Amino acid sequence: MSFRDLVGFAIGALRGHRLRSGLSLLGVAIGVASVILLTSVGEGARLYVTGEFATLGSNLLIVFPGKTETTGISPFLTEAPHALTLEDAEAILHHVRSARRVAPIVFGVAAARVGDRRRDVGVIGTTSEFLGVRQIRLRSGRYLPAGELARGQRVCVIGSKVQSELFGARNPLGEILHLGEERFRVIGVTAPRGLSIGQDLDEIVHVPVSRGMKLFNKISLFRILVEISSHQEIPAARRNALELLKERHEGFEDVTIWTQDSVLATFSRVLSLLTAALGGIAAISLTVAGVGIMNVMLVSVSERRREIGLLKAIGVMPRQVVSAFLVEAALLSTAGGALGLAAALGATRLMRTMYPSFPARPPFWVLPAALSVSIGVGLLFGALPARRASRLDPVAALARR
Amino acid sequence: MQRDFWKLAWESIAAHPLRSALTTLGIVIGVASVILLTSLGEGTRRSLVSEFSQFGTNLITIHRGKTTTAGIPGAVGGTIRKLTLGDAEALRRVPGVDALVPVAFGSARVEFGERGRDVVVYGVTSEVPKVWRFAVGGGRFLPRGDPARASSFAVLGPRLKRELFGEANALGEHVKIGGRRFSVIGVMASKGQVFGFDMDDTAYIAVASAHSLFNTEDLLEIDVLFSLGASGDSVKEGIREALIRRHGGEEDFTVRTQAESLDVLNRVLSVVTAAVGGIGAISLLVGAIGILTMMWIAVGERTAEIGLLKALGATRGQIARLFLLEAALLSVVGGGVGVAVGMGLGALIRLAIPAISVHTAPGFIAAALAVSLAVGLGSGVLPARRASRLDPIEALRAE
Repeated sequence: MSFRDLVGFAIGALRGHRLRSGLSLLGVAIGVASVILLTSVGEGARLYVTGEFATLGSNLLIVFPGKTETTGISPFLTEAPHALTLEDAEAILHHVRSARRVAPIVFGVAAARVGDRRRDVGVIGTTSEFLGVRQIRLRSGRYLPAGELARGQRVCVIGSKVQSELFGARNPLGEILHLGEERFRVIGVTAPRGLSIGQDLDEIVHVPVSRGMKLFNKISLFRILVEISSHQEIPAARRNALELLKERHEGFEDVTIWTQDSVLATFSRVLSLLTAALGGIAAISLTVAGVGIMNVMLVSVSERRREIGLLKAIGVMPRQVVSAFLVEAALLSTAGGALGLAAALGATRLMRTMYPSFPARPPFWVLPAALSVSIGVGLLFGALPARRASRLDPVAALARR
Repeated sequence: MQRDFWKLAWESIAAHPLRSALTTLGIVIGVASVILLTSLGEGTRRSLVSEFSQFGTNLITIHRGKTTTAGIPGAVGGTIRKLTLGDAEALRRVPGVDALVPVAFGSARVEFGERGRDVVVYGVTSEVPKVWRFAVGGGRFLPRGDPARASSFAVLGPRLKRELFGEANALGEHVKIGGRRFSVIGVMASKGQVFGFDMDDTAYIAVASAHSLFNTEDLLEIDVLFSLGASGDSVKEGIREALIRRHGGEEDFTVRTQAESLDVLNRVLSVVTAAVGGIGAISLLVGAIGILTMMWIAVGERTAEIGLLKALGATRGQIARLFLLEAALLSVVGGGVGVAVGMGLGALIRLAIPAISVHTAPGFIAAALAVSLAVGLGSGVLPARRASRLDPIEALRAE
């Protein structure tokens, strides 16, 4: 019996029972489609987050005040005995050789008021460098003026949503915006960008850093973003910055420095793990589908006893009988896998057209994995029925009607 | 008649033991995975809720800043909204308020001799053991006194004490916190982790000392314990009014009762559990397709038998019911075994990894059984219809 004969035999058997074959195949299709869909959503989330980090600009160090070995909280503390100061930021720029740009940041929430319209806004106190480091684009006007850190003019740049809610259709440039008790002149509006890692930049007001510190009555910065000139220099730059700050803080190593890479890697790892877990749960349904295939194959073995008996009587080897049934099972499950794959790819494409900002797409390994898993399911669950068929005694099989 | 039905259905299941077992196995796997996943979710929810409610249920927390959809207000960054010690003291006069703790915190290095450790330092008052229900393991907690006055007393969490002193006595010793000298007057009893945050790896100092250490006058939050007789909502309202008066008519803070926080937590975790259980339920769907396939085959095989039944006067409805009953039996047995397997696996996980909490709510079991019954009936409909519509003469001829 040649391979072609085998496949022909299997296809003939499957076509004899279309509904039955269709249902067995549907089980595998549902399993494969749900695994691919869930992993695509997970992968989409990972791509979205990593993409967001990429907009932070590349080769960043992020310096936080405070350091703790207490599990579970570290980077969100903003209070430490030694403040992270503007002088620290300047020192990093001047003494860490590979530091190209430094953007000190204070952050807080303040009540903004224009005329009698008011709302709470997030306020970022920073310098002109922030524009480049965070890759912010302006819609009109200009960004915060460059110049000495300690000298802060009373000017601000507002997010597009702040503009529409406080100024409406009016041109805000040159107008006065109150933050708390202080007056700021609007000199620029940022282009709409939407959510960026938990911060909606459209709802933010940018002010000069020293103004921000006064506004929030802080002597410590919230964090310092340092852009390093090249990727290879990041570890050395991190070490240099840590040493420099330790020296400046009377020997206390009381800052935490993250590299953008390590943050990215952590996020990526967590999301990949989550994706794998969800995919794994969905994959349980593939086992159920496999059991279904096994059941149907067992039925078909007992229905075709005479046929099998005849094959054996004319000298077909048991091994060839096994192959015939394995091919039938594998055909069923592979067709199901292909159907599921097509359905899932269609669904993710639909998702991408409906939510263009969310890059739902199957991870690269999904295509080969789906195909090999569905063939594997067929072979694995086809094994028992195939063995049963090959062990039939030809005489008994033919004798019994 | 009714007994005959059951007998017939059972006999046709028993006639093909392997086939019936495999059909059921699909449902078993589906139900077991749903039960196991929802039990894990429910267990996690319960352990988080109990971590949360160990602080007591008659607690109200005040944060600076107004709540935003992002969650915890004012926890990150600065704000022009301040909560001060004066605010905290003023709240003592609100009816129903029993005790309160103003909280400031930051990170600092705690040193003893050559050893040092960077930890979270809380600035609080003497009422922490009462309000947070934290027990002191040795020595005593910070003494009562004017909260606006700094003091040089410190109380250590048990893990921090172990890291710095080992087994030696810490009481009466001097430690440096952020470079300043404090004398240790107490060590807390172990509290373990709360939301993955190690409560034992911390130090407590007077709130005014923390303010001077961290160079701020701001409170992160105020925790208020109200007396058991009072209603949480009326105390919350009292606090709100008192603070609005002090803040010049503006509501620039968030007051939340423990019950409200618990509510949010419960809702979020229930949604997660339902989602994961739903993904597990895809297996149930595939299992249902398995039942449908096998029943369809069975109708084909038993054409002659059905013809005979019809010839003997069985109505269409009776034939349909017979096959529905068979499908339902298969899947309910599968559901029952699935519940047992799911709970067994849950018990195994609990034995192997005690840190993971597993809890099967009775509601899940009832729902699993109901769903498996529905799955059986649903997947039996098509085959039952096919069987009931067979023409008896044609069917008998098929023999």
